[in-house]
Amino acid sequence: MLEFAPGADVRRQTASAARIGVGGPVGSGKTALIERLIPVLRGRGVDLAVVTNDLVTKEDAERLRRSGLIEPERVSAVEAGACPHTVIREDPTLNMAAGDDLEARFPGLELVVFESGGDNLASTFSLDLVDWWMFVIDVAGGDDIPRKRGPGVLKCDLLVVNKTDLAPHVGVDLEAMLGEAIAVRGDRPVIATNARSGEGVEAVADMIGRAVLFSE
Amino acid sequence: MLHIDRIAGDRADPAWRERIHHLEHHGAVDEVTIPNADMARRRLRITTPKGEDLAIALPRDQKLFDGAVLLADDNRAIVVRAEVERWLRLQPRSIAEAIELGYHAGNLHWRVRFESECLLVALEGPADAYYARLDTLFSGRSIKGSIVTGDIAA
Repeated sequence: MLEFAPGADVRRQTASAARIGVGGPVGSGKTALIERLIPVLRGRGVDLAVVTNDLVTKEDAERLRRSGLIEPERVSAVEAGACPHTVIREDPTLNMAAGDDLEARFPGLELVVFESGGDNLASTFSLDLVDWWMFVIDVAGGDDIPRKRGPGVLKCDLLVVNKTDLAPHVGVDLEAMLGEAIAVRGDRPVIATNARSGEGVEAVADMIGRAVLFSE
Repeated sequence: MLHIDRIAGDRADPAWRERIHHLEHHGAVDEVTIPNADMARRRLRITTPKGEDLAIALPRDQKLFDGAVLLADDNRAIVVRAEVERWLRLQPRSIAEAIELGYHAGNLHWRVRFESECLLVALEGPADAYYARLDTLFSGRSIKGSIVTGDIAA
């Protein structure tokens, strides 16, 4: 189910804002990372909006709307139903419509961030929906995640390893985990973050800027 | 950085073909090969063989294609060459094996095409990785396979 703004006619619009995806397993810190990215990107002058995906609620959208980080009307919610990767890969039309709707309501919008519902390691984004996407895993989810070579880990444009602060508490050798992540991804980038402290978030914003906002 | 915000034309069109051909004679066509995995992107940073840093941002209703003219003026042109797609042609030996193969290919979200009694799987990584998955799924039973390119390319 998609929330449309009253009166918005998305059919007339030609999308022009960059679109990026944020995917990853349940609880890996996707929403927390977006909460950190919003002020960093806005501080760089980026005009942005967010589309969240939840199974049968608007939980993540409500969290962002209440955060005070972004005007509530710049956050749209898509209810993904039982299978969150379907609406970002096989049939992303609900999300595409949500992006078109935001662009219609906010002329000059430069970036739309699509947050996937929490999913498994096979989750990937369709390039019909986004121009670039990152996959967020976390240290506490297990240091064997990169070794499992899930499509999300392998195919994303940027792999984010979040919650680095938890490594000593969950018995994870962070350097070894990052080394394995880099090894399975070849020359594609990996960034370690701590979304609670903000560590690594500037580097993620740099990568978004270079890849789709052409800031350098 | 050179911003490209639309596709100017198709080199296969007669008018464009003549114009590009003329520039080619002067060594003024910069042909940028785009990896197959990137052809579906509307936004892309890529450097051409002549060193031009392209920042491509197409409207949502446009897509890159082989032969897309990104820029053309009196002095030069920049044209897309799509990397040829590679496919793994798998030939099951029985209906039962075909059903099993189809199930696994779907479960793995492989992109496939059909060709007579063969299943073609688009290679988005090393072929060995696909063979390794099949070996595991088929418990060591081999499936006859070969890599094909060319006219099957998307």
